[in-house]
Amino acid sequence: MDLLWQVLVNGVLLGGLYALMALGLALVWGVLNIVNIAHGAFIMLGAYVCYYLFAGLGLDPFAALPLAMLALFVFGYVVQRYLLNLVIRAPMFNTLLITFGIDVVLTLLAQLAFSADFRTINPTYAGSNFMLGSATVPFVRVIAFGIAVGLTLLLWLFLTRARLGRAIRATAQNLVAARLYGVEPRRVYALTFALGAALAGAAGSLYGVVSQVNPYIGGSLTAKSFAIAIIGGLDSPLGVIVGGLFLGIVESLTSLYIGPTYSDVASFGILVLVLIFRPSGLLGRTA
Amino acid sequence: MKTLVSLIGGIAAALVAASASAVITLGASVQLSGPLANTGRYYRDGYEMAIDTINKAGGVKVGGKSEQLELKILDNQSDNNLAVRQYVQLVTQDKISLLLGPFASDAVIATSSVAEKYQVPMVQGGGASDQIYSRGYKYIFGTLPAATKYFESTIEAMGKLNPAPKTVALLYADDAFDVSVAKGTRDLIKAAGLTTALDERYSTNASDFASLLARIKSANVDAVLVAGHETEILNFIRQAKSLSVSPKIYSFTVGVPSADFRKALGKDADFAFGMTSWLPTATLTDQWFGNAEKFEQAYKARFGYEPDYHAASAVADVEAYAKAIEAAGSTDPQKVRDAVAKLNFDSLYGPIKFDEKGQISLPQTVIQVQDGKVVPIYGGKGFIEKPRYPMPAWDKR
Repeated sequence: MDLLWQVLVNGVLLGGLYALMALGLALVWGVLNIVNIAHGAFIMLGAYVCYYLFAGLGLDPFAALPLAMLALFVFGYVVQRYLLNLVIRAPMFNTLLITFGIDVVLTLLAQLAFSADFRTINPTYAGSNFMLGSATVPFVRVIAFGIAVGLTLLLWLFLTRARLGRAIRATAQNLVAARLYGVEPRRVYALTFALGAALAGAAGSLYGVVSQVNPYIGGSLTAKSFAIAIIGGLDSPLGVIVGGLFLGIVESLTSLYIGPTYSDVASFGILVLVLIFRPSGLLGRTA
Repeated sequence: MKTLVSLIGGIAAALVAASASAVITLGASVQLSGPLANTGRYYRDGYEMAIDTINKAGGVKVGGKSEQLELKILDNQSDNNLAVRQYVQLVTQDKISLLLGPFASDAVIATSSVAEKYQVPMVQGGGASDQIYSRGYKYIFGTLPAATKYFESTIEAMGKLNPAPKTVALLYADDAFDVSVAKGTRDLIKAAGLTTALDERYSTNASDFASLLARIKSANVDAVLVAGHETEILNFIRQAKSLSVSPKIYSFTVGVPSADFRKALGKDADFAFGMTSWLPTATLTDQWFGNAEKFEQAYKARFGYEPDYHAASAVADVEAYAKAIEAAGSTDPQKVRDAVAKLNFDSLYGPIKFDEKGQISLPQTVIQVQDGKVVPIYGGKGFIEKPRYPMPAWDKR
């Protein structure tokens, strides 16, 4: 029983981080209809920004996190405005290929710039923990979880309340109508993509604190984010949180009861089932 | 005019012939980019350094003439299928008939089939899995000791610790090397009379070990043996700390001997055990480098990082070719292959001698990180330095 409780706690905390990783991908996908294969590479870049601020300037990783978000926001804006925007009306397959190319280029540049050495963002408190009943709860994971949930809620509020957020949603729902109401899609697209990249920057910073960073972490992170976005649905950030938590718990329980080799089988198996039975995601509107 | 042309032609032909005969090219496809680039560099740097040093000392004597060695190295981007194609290209297009290996058992299993098909030798220092040698291949030779025995010295040393660990958890990744390690370790655990509390395989590149760690903690395991890759082991140790899991001893197949691994973990690397087939000691003498200690210094000065057993194993591969070519008095692949099979010489990596399957036999020295430094703990003749055992709880460090 104690073991189950511990594993459930682990799963929930893992799920929070998963959700944040997928959030940016789902946002961009939902609004721009671009599946950003380079999303994992953006997370990797965010992790490096945070690492260098931490290791180079001695900044606390949680103080460095907003800076990493800002850096990635600017980067995302430039990438969308001057690269992806050129093909925004092209079929989905073309944009998919372009982001795939961006992923390859970023990964290679990262190896040249940062070397293939493994890095960890390892502040002195990185390993501290506290007890919750009989479960050991890692302190940093709780903060990471809190930031993930907080950013998701902020994004949700922004999309439903703020003028720009509503413009983003309007663009996603009906481009022609949004234009008629004076929304400028070019700007909305660039800002949305930048926002997605900034969320990747936050996810990367947290990932570096709980795991390790090297230029090649992007691929598997994109795959995982993709699965979570589909499971959670693209309609709302809240769906992504549900998808992330669901996947985190399922993977942890699979690892406990069936075996750790099968956790990927479980998560991608669920992806297939969701695609068949609830194609708009667990929380999505069913057709 | 005609004579002039033929004269120039003759000179050019002579030059081509001369340059062709004066250079012996060794071919390799190594992980210079991609997820394995971090370890792949040891092979590139090891090969280059060995070739440069041998060339500076006069090269390789073939039938009374000195010839220089040359390396043709391709980047397989950590993709085994690409590595296979590159070896085919090296043999068929570049006409290279002496091959050095890539890193990691999976890559060696795949690419050694190319060497076997074209009947050219491949001397490799990157693969240790038994699967490489269980296919009856004649052209593959390896300078990493058997994967099944990686934990042999560790388990032997564990029996002599006080209090000796009684229960063991064995975790391993699902690739050829680590599956071989697990297979051998299971027998060793049984022979030592230890109880297996946990025996689990996980996916390569797994990043979450929280469930496994919870089980290790709840079963109160004494010793944890992990066969995996550096990224996984980094995550394992970091998560062990954050979940307050501290068995009496934990040991890892990779990572501990590598400088950048210890650097990434900082203080958290302390107390971790590992093993190495090579330590840079002055007692390992070498024809070209003097000894292993001098090699380590020269390597560090040239590349800016410490070599580990991967690099030393790579150097031994090149030296094996140099020795074999001299013994054969030829660069004919068949003759060189036969000479490699008969080799018996001392190198900075250790005595090089292949068994009938083509694999070297070297003892694994048990090592431990103590205050950020690698300390040899246990070798063939017993304890070398005092182990820090049992590992203290994380909050008492």
